[in-house]
Amino acid sequence: MHPSVTAPAPSPAAAAQPRARPAVGLLYNPASPDVIAHAGSLVESLSVMPDRLWFDFGPAAAPGQRFHRALGALDEIARLARGRQLAAHGIGLSLPSDLPLDKDFVTAIDGLQQALGGFGWFSEHLSVFLTPRGSVPNAQAGLGLPIAYDDEVFTLVAGKLRRLRERLGCRQLLENGAFFTPLPEAPMSEPAFLNRLHAQGLAGTLLDLHNLYVSERHGGPRMADYLAELDPDAVEEIHLAGGDDFAGFYMDSHSGFTPEPVWEIAFEHLPRFRRLRALTFEFQETYYPAMGAAGVARELERMHRLAECCGTAAPMAIAARSAQAAPTPTARSPRPEPEAHHAG
Amino acid sequence: MLADFQQAMADLTASPRLCNDARRDPGLMARHYTLSPMEARRLQAMVEHPGMACACIVYRANRLAPLALNLRATCAALGPALRPLADAYWAEYPEGNVHFYIESARFCDFVADALAQGAELPEGVAAALAVDRARVRAALAESRLEARRAATGA
Repeated sequence: MHPSVTAPAPSPAAAAQPRARPAVGLLYNPASPDVIAHAGSLVESLSVMPDRLWFDFGPAAAPGQRFHRALGALDEIARLARGRQLAAHGIGLSLPSDLPLDKDFVTAIDGLQQALGGFGWFSEHLSVFLTPRGSVPNAQAGLGLPIAYDDEVFTLVAGKLRRLRERLGCRQLLENGAFFTPLPEAPMSEPAFLNRLHAQGLAGTLLDLHNLYVSERHGGPRMADYLAELDPDAVEEIHLAGGDDFAGFYMDSHSGFTPEPVWEIAFEHLPRFRRLRALTFEFQETYYPAMGAAGVARELERMHRLAECCGTAAPMAIAARSAQAAPTPTARSPRPEPEAHHAG
Repeated sequence: MLADFQQAMADLTASPRLCNDARRDPGLMARHYTLSPMEARRLQAMVEHPGMACACIVYRANRLAPLALNLRATCAALGPALRPLADAYWAEYPEGNVHFYIESARFCDFVADALAQGAELPEGVAAALAVDRARVRAALAESRLEARRAATGA
């Protein structure tokens, strides 16, 4: 039923590390407090988007007046993060853009990190969101644009990652994008680019499986081929999400639950990933009324079953994948308290 | 060069018309941007890929989001007139502002200018715009207060 796993085995060093079960959690949005109120024991980690926790008045703002925090949201996250792993997931740095690193933006992220007691790690997107010749300094391109995986872009991203690490101090991850138009003639594939970042100690990989699915649906690499090339030791976080069809295209709209082909590939490949820190479910809050707290809880329960098989090196049996199999985390012994948040 | 290549990608995504022009005239992008031959080939492959239409749709959806969230009455009053007006707005401002209230306020100004210049818009737009514009301005002012509260600890 399942294709054989053709990816290279984890490195001996990684294989020697004790397997740690990744935490299961959510990308924070305004509906997250309701999910946690209904199914708090299923949410072990929170990932927060700094860009959604402030109003950015742009680089032209008076000194110290560019970022205005949304204080209510910050207080809420501080409350919900107690006893949970906390990470940050940015979108505004646009590291592959041919622009200088936005130092004020980085300082603002660090300020949030301090206010919230530290981030376990900070992730960004391997996509172009900011345009180099934009008429407005903090203007966005409107969506994440693909990058050419070549030495020029690698050098650009690597330099920014080094400066980012100096400032934030925490581990950094980069996320694969959902692309509709693959760029031809790239000297490297995206997994090769991510492997190189990992091998040079610059960043781990945030593997968004739904993005991979979207890209495959639009003529990008097959998910299995992509995962066969990606170093499993590079992957430290997984994103799961749902999308929908619109105008003949499949969209990364985060409008619902993870589609079955993505679950299939996740259960197939995650046993090889020994360094995962978190499995994170993303959804857009405007779809929450249709999804419901019970629906999101079921998704989280399935993610807990997936977490159990991470790093076991053998694909989980089909029976254990189904929604009816395996006890839910709420029926298990409580998970040990997640490690304290730290900035270093 | 990389900066031009990335800007050209963004400009294509923002403009289905530019995509169509580039399909008809394969040398167009290289005449308007400083591109290596490989970058020009990559852009041409992009515009000819079926997914380019999807990229344009997502661009428009993301640009529409702040307007749909913050200017519901105005969008409803505009009805079918929203599409050509939004097209004109996005052509004039191809990049969105990350601050949704600034983006919404800018569109309010654009619609108000259109009305002042005698654009034929559906009845009720002016009234809806007045309400939405006041609300967005208040929200924008409120968003400026957050930092002051943070600074004073209030």
